[in-house]
Amino acid sequence: MNDEVSIFQEEREKERRRRRRDGERDKKRRENGRRKASKDETSEVDNEDNEEEDDKEKELRPEDLSPEELEKLKEAVDERKKLIQSLRGKPWPMKKKLVALRESQEFVEKYEGALGKGKGRKLYAYKVMMTKKWMKFQRDLENFKTACIPWEMKIKEIESHFGSSVASYFIFLRWMYGINMILFGLTFGLVMVPEALMGRPYGSIPRKTVPRAEEASAMDFAVLWDCGGYAQYSVLFYGYYNNQRAIGWLKFRMPLSYFLVGVGTVAYSYMVVIRTMARNANESGVGDDNSFNFSWKTFTSWDYLIGNPETADNKFASITTSFKEAILEEQESRKDDNIHLTRFLRVLANFLVLCCLAGSGYLIYFVVRRSQKFALDGLENHTWWERNEVNMVMSLLGMFCPMLFDVISTLENYHPRVALQWQLGRIFALFLGNLYTFIIALMDEINLKREEEMIVKFNITMWETSLYNGTEPENSTAPPISIHPADVPRGPCWETMVGQEFVRLIISDTMTTYITLLIGDFIRAVLVRFLNYCWCWDLEAGFPSYSEFDVSGNVLGLIFNQGMIWMGAFYAPCLPALNVLRLHVSMYLQCWSVMCCNVPQERVFKASGSNNFYMAMLLVILFLSTLPAIYTIVTIPPSFDCGPFSGKKRMFDVIHETLESDFPAWFGKVFSYASNPGLVLPFILLMVLAIYYLQSTSKSYKEANVELKKKLQAQNEENKKKNKRAALQAQMVLEEARKVASQTAGQPNNSTVLQEYESEAFYF
Amino acid sequence: MVSPAIALAFLPLLLTLIIRYRYYFVLFYRAVLVRIWRDCVTGLSREERAYQYVLVHATPGDPDSILEAFDVWCSKVEYISNIGPKKGKILDRLLMEQSPLTVLELGAHCGYSTVRIARALPLGARLYSVEMDQRNAAIAEKIIRLAGFDDDTVELIVNPSDEVIPRLRADYGLERLDFVFMDHWKKSYCPDLQLLEGSGLLGKGSMIVADNVLFPGAPKFLRHIRKSGLYEWKVHRATLEYSKGIRDGMAELVYQGIK
Repeated sequence: MNDEVSIFQEEREKERRRRRRDGERDKKRRENGRRKASKDETSEVDNEDNEEEDDKEKELRPEDLSPEELEKLKEAVDERKKLIQSLRGKPWPMKKKLVALRESQEFVEKYEGALGKGKGRKLYAYKVMMTKKWMKFQRDLENFKTACIPWEMKIKEIESHFGSSVASYFIFLRWMYGINMILFGLTFGLVMVPEALMGRPYGSIPRKTVPRAEEASAMDFAVLWDCGGYAQYSVLFYGYYNNQRAIGWLKFRMPLSYFLVGVGTVAYSYMVVIRTMARNANESGVGDDNSFNFSWKTFTSWDYLIGNPETADNKFASITTSFKEAILEEQESRKDDNIHLTRFLRVLANFLVLCCLAGSGYLIYFVVRRSQKFALDGLENHTWWERNEVNMVMSLLGMFCPMLFDVISTLENYHPRVALQWQLGRIFALFLGNLYTFIIALMDEINLKREEEMIVKFNITMWETSLYNGTEPENSTAPPISIHPADVPRGPCWETMVGQEFVRLIISDTMTTYITLLIGDFIRAVLVRFLNYCWCWDLEAGFPSYSEFDVSGNVLGLIFNQGMIWMGAFYAPCLPALNVLRLHVSMYLQCWSVMCCNVPQERVFKASGSNNFYMAMLLVILFLSTLPAIYTIVTIPPSFDCGPFSGKKRMFDVIHETLESDFPAWFGKVFSYASNPGLVLPFILLMVLAIYYLQSTSKSYKEANVELKKKLQAQNEENKKKNKRAALQAQMVLEEARKVASQTAGQPNNSTVLQEYESEAFYF
Repeated sequence: MVSPAIALAFLPLLLTLIIRYRYYFVLFYRAVLVRIWRDCVTGLSREERAYQYVLVHATPGDPDSILEAFDVWCSKVEYISNIGPKKGKILDRLLMEQSPLTVLELGAHCGYSTVRIARALPLGARLYSVEMDQRNAAIAEKIIRLAGFDDDTVELIVNPSDEVIPRLRADYGLERLDFVFMDHWKKSYCPDLQLLEGSGLLGKGSMIVADNVLFPGAPKFLRHIRKSGLYEWKVHRATLEYSKGIRDGMAELVYQGIK
């Protein structure tokens, strides 16, 4: 490429010189004609100036160039551009690269404009300039976007101290925060704000007013903290919303918007999670083969993001330990003894874990039953402990059972990564069991409330007739009797109750996390640091010591909290807002606590392998947590006097209503055809078949990959063998030569014979 | 006040603590509870009971059988924190490599480690053993003589170590210590090490071995050797004597001299 360019430049030089000579001759003739009496210097200067101008004009005049030369010029410019782009990957020293870059850029600038033909030249130059400006703008935009990423410096600092696995938790937290921001935007902007601004104000209708009986205590902090009082009768919960079809001057369809936002949050979450999973799957790269274990460990163990000497020492020690373990494992896998004992121990461990899970599930069920009993008695008769029993027990179990699983897993004697996956799976099962027990208990409560509702409805009709009978004895159309909304008897709004339960659960979970953080990490670190001077054993090396950051436990906690948000967001629109606040505080608190109270882990794991694992868990939780919400929406009729769907038979009737009233008739027809089971079922079948087909194709691709890898390996091994054989042969020939040389010692042409043999051996 | 359900929720925590720290509980039981019980019952001190056992079960003049009798008693009957068989092997190996001629031992206690060191000494070497407590020193003397080591090989000094070390050069005519073994009170490791440095008895290549630097632990000692830069040090990781699950370590220091 360089040769072409240089050849081209030489030709240009030759032409230039030719033209200059011609031009000089012409000019001299002209000048000799015009200025006979001018001084030599000025004429020389003029000559030079004229020459330069001529040169410039001649260089940029594309009409002078023949089409072949134009082609060559274009090729040369393209090659230079390619060189500029690929310069980063070339194995040259920096100076050479900089010089080449400058030369190429100058060349491109000079000749690019010349490529456009004639009149189109100006347009071409303009286009080129615009492309360059656009690229610069894009680069600046990228830089700006990178600078806008929140908390980037904090996370980098943590990464340099603790390694990439701890940092991956914070990156996950930040990603969660982004999702929750969008959910918050949806619920706040499309549900809470319209109702607050354009709906009926507080106190105008019964559902928006605190009942007379509760008015006295509605502002108490204890009541507010428990989501009662004014907090309950506000946009934060389901019960406040009016079922008016269109509100305000915008004719905003409130119930439709509520329903669609609920569906939209779920749909958006699915889309984001699956998109991230797909991206991670693409990046997962070569992965760990089971062959060349030690080579992989030797060349890929180091974490280049570490920036702190103590962490580097730790990483060094952990790599050494992992080598020792790998060697031990190799030895043990060849020994393969006592497999019955191992199997028995593993079965025993799983049995113990199952017992623990069953025990925790039963405990939660028992506690929820007890709290229902308390609720029937009236909540004021019980202490704070008894009222918040459910949340406390769930949080405590969620904290203590994983430790027990960890201890039981030492029986099993697995490889640490496998043990970690088992541990995560068990914690997952624990949280899921607890959550579903909670939901089942909640369902019981919903049914109770619905029965109560029937009674209240009956009572209301009685009360209304009594009112009318009291004031107007005649059976005429009575004027509307004005009763203060606070005095109207209310039904027990089960949806608000569900929302309140979730909000309480989230708050207590958050409080437990923060208190555990403060006590388990901070107070412990303070004690270890300051009691160490006067304690009999070394507190830093021995028993309490500083705590390590538990990545998997924290990630699971985050995932399950998100699951609870998804579950409850339909009934309490304030939940995404609460979660955004919680994640924001968590980020700062945990960043501080990690840097202040934790020490780097002794065994450091690669984070990349588990990324998709956490995403998969998030997807499962998303599915499992939206299931109960969807079930309640589809089967249970909404309360008769609260919420945006009051008065309808089912909550999704709002869609049908919208289709009838807001869309033209043909749209409704099309929709009814499209939702015909006869059409939907074949469509579902088609999708299932498509999934099956894609799955089998991807499997065959994977198999082809494995085959190729095997072929590569076999090829490598053959090459190795060939090289070995060649080396052996060379060695043998050399030895023979030496023997011969030593045997024929004393002969004059000794050394030459030896050299001949050596050269022969060399050619092998 | 607190409901039984919440109390029950703490059960997994309790189980976890018990299982994770079971070795520490076992150690506590053996080293403290059994000792108190036997003290009340028999009226002899722990070391005297050990001596009785060794007298009955070991052959005089044979250091190996004495050490074995000690090991059996400490593992099965009661608990005394001698150096133990596993760490003792590390000590033997270090002694064989070093072959010191003058050895100082701080903290003889019952004489187990004295016998162990004396067994591995080359010919002509001499061991100075320092023990603070009178009764323990008496028992240690008896055990050492039972093992067959006479006054040429082992000399027992009954004085606190911080009084003995400054007077080693004057009273005993020592010029240089090739090997020092520390097994006395953990909080005296650092002061005694500084006394040794100050006394000028350490030369280049002198080895100092300190036991139990991880459990119960001697943090000031470890901090001192890290910072002073006078030693090439490493910690041999093993388990606590006569116990399987408690991690412990022996620090091995080689004096480099002031650079």
